[in-house]
This record gives sequence, C-alpha cells and structure tokens, in this order.
Amino acid sequence: MITRRWFRRHKPEVDCREVGRVLQSYLDDNVEAGFAGKIAAHLDECKKCGLESATYTQIKDSLGDTRPDVDDDAMSRLRSFGAKLTDG
Amino acid sequence: MVDDREQKAAFDRYIVPEIEVLYRVARSITRNPTDAEDLVQDTMLRAYRAVGRFDGRYPRAWLLTIMRNAQINRVRRRRPELMRDPDATMERVAAQDSGDDGPEATVLERGYNAELEKAFESLPQKFKTVVDLVDVQGLAYQETADILGVPVGTVMSRLHRARARLRKQLEASGAYVEGRPT
Repeated sequence: MITRRWFRRHKPEVDCREVGRVLQSYLDDNVEAGFAGKIAAHLDECKKCGLESATYTQIKDSLGDTRPDVDDDAMSRLRSFGAKLTDG
Repeated sequence: MVDDREQKAAFDRYIVPEIEVLYRVARSITRNPTDAEDLVQDTMLRAYRAVGRFDGRYPRAWLLTIMRNAQINRVRRRRPELMRDPDATMERVAAQDSGDDGPEATVLERGYNAELEKAFESLPQKFKTVVDLVDVQGLAYQETADILGVPVGTVMSRLHRARARLRKQLEASGAYVEGRPT
C-alpha cells in the first residue's frame, strides 16, 4: 500500500508530479485512503492527469475484458479430484 | 495432528473456493491447459497434505506459494539443468515460449483492442506475465509476487513499466487520442 511521502504530508493538495508517480498504484486500489482522496480530487480538477488516468483505466479494462472463460470440464475434473482426495 | 474429518473440513474451507483462481493462474504460467490441470492437481494434493499445519490466514497466498514450489519441481524434473539456478526457475518458466494457447492469444476485437494485443505481444515475457496475472487474471500485487517468487516492488515496477510501454505503443499506433480509444 502506497502512502504519501512524509515530507509532503503537510501539503493539502497533490501536484501533477506526485500524481504521476503513484497513478497506476492508485488505479489498482493500492494507495492509502487519505492519499487516494487527494489524488481523486486532483484528477477531477486537472485535465492532463485526468486524461492520463483515463488512458490507463482503458488499458486495464481492455486487458481485463480479455480474460478467457474457464473450461467447465476442467473445473469439473478438478473438483472431482478434490472430492476423491478428501474421501480417501 | 488433525483427524480426517478436520482435514476434509479445512480442505473444503480453504482450498475448494480457490480452485478456479488456481486454474487461471496455472494456465497463465504454464500456457498449456493440460499442464495447468496437472499443476492444479499437484497443488491440491500438496495443500491437502499440509492443510493441518495451515493457520487459516491468507489461503490464496498460501496456495499460490505451494503452486509456485510445485511448478518449480515439475520444471526441474523435466529440465534438470535448472537445478543450478533454482531462484530463477519461475522466471524462466514464465519466460518459456510454449506456443499460442495461453490467455494472451485471446483474439481481441479490431481497432483499439487489436493494437493493444499487438502491443501486449511485443512486451518482454517477464512484463507480459505480470500484466497477465494482474490485469487479465485479476490477481493482487502480493498474490502475483507469491506465485512468481519476487518482491512486491518488482511486481509493481514491471507492471507499471509494462503498462507505460503499452500506452506508448498505442499512442504511436494512433489507436487512442487523448485518453480515449478510437
């Protein structure tokens, strides 16, 4: 989990550079909640960072859409294997 | 020592719910459906034997570590020369090019997705593996680190660099304009 660098914690807002450094971790929900809130506010305000965020979100979403379906037969065989294991 | 009933209960509680994730990850790292099934069976067998000693915390992480060790042993049996460099075995396993049966071969739609697929295919294998495990299969950073046997920081670094490359290549191909796919 990414936390904000200690020497910046007193600053109320984040800047583009700071957002650029942690943007991908933020999009992966891997940023501490308070810090994430500041990033979200910046993304709403800053067109450049907002577009950067939209670009990476699109890449992530498109990759997620390629997840292949799991073969039902394979799953059935694996579950049967598990059942045989536990039945001795 | 646990009795058979407790062992079965623990198996049903911790292992059975993770079978699908295990199969997805196995398919990603073996890139072969038959090998993936064998690897999951091997993992289930090892996990069943060890479940009595499992503390119940983070079952997925525990199972992925078992799978990683199982896969290393499988590769060692097939390729004994890898014994000389065991720490790098999973990296090598992930880097093996075993054809186009894996998830990365999924046919994408034309346009943006076709360019994305092309960009994905052009990534170095170690980047491709991390992108596949996190962005395609939906594993967390830590889970990906567990299965690959690398630090979380390495997963993050590879993933972020890989996505930056994808983004750059998409941009160069003209597949997106200002954050929106064309």
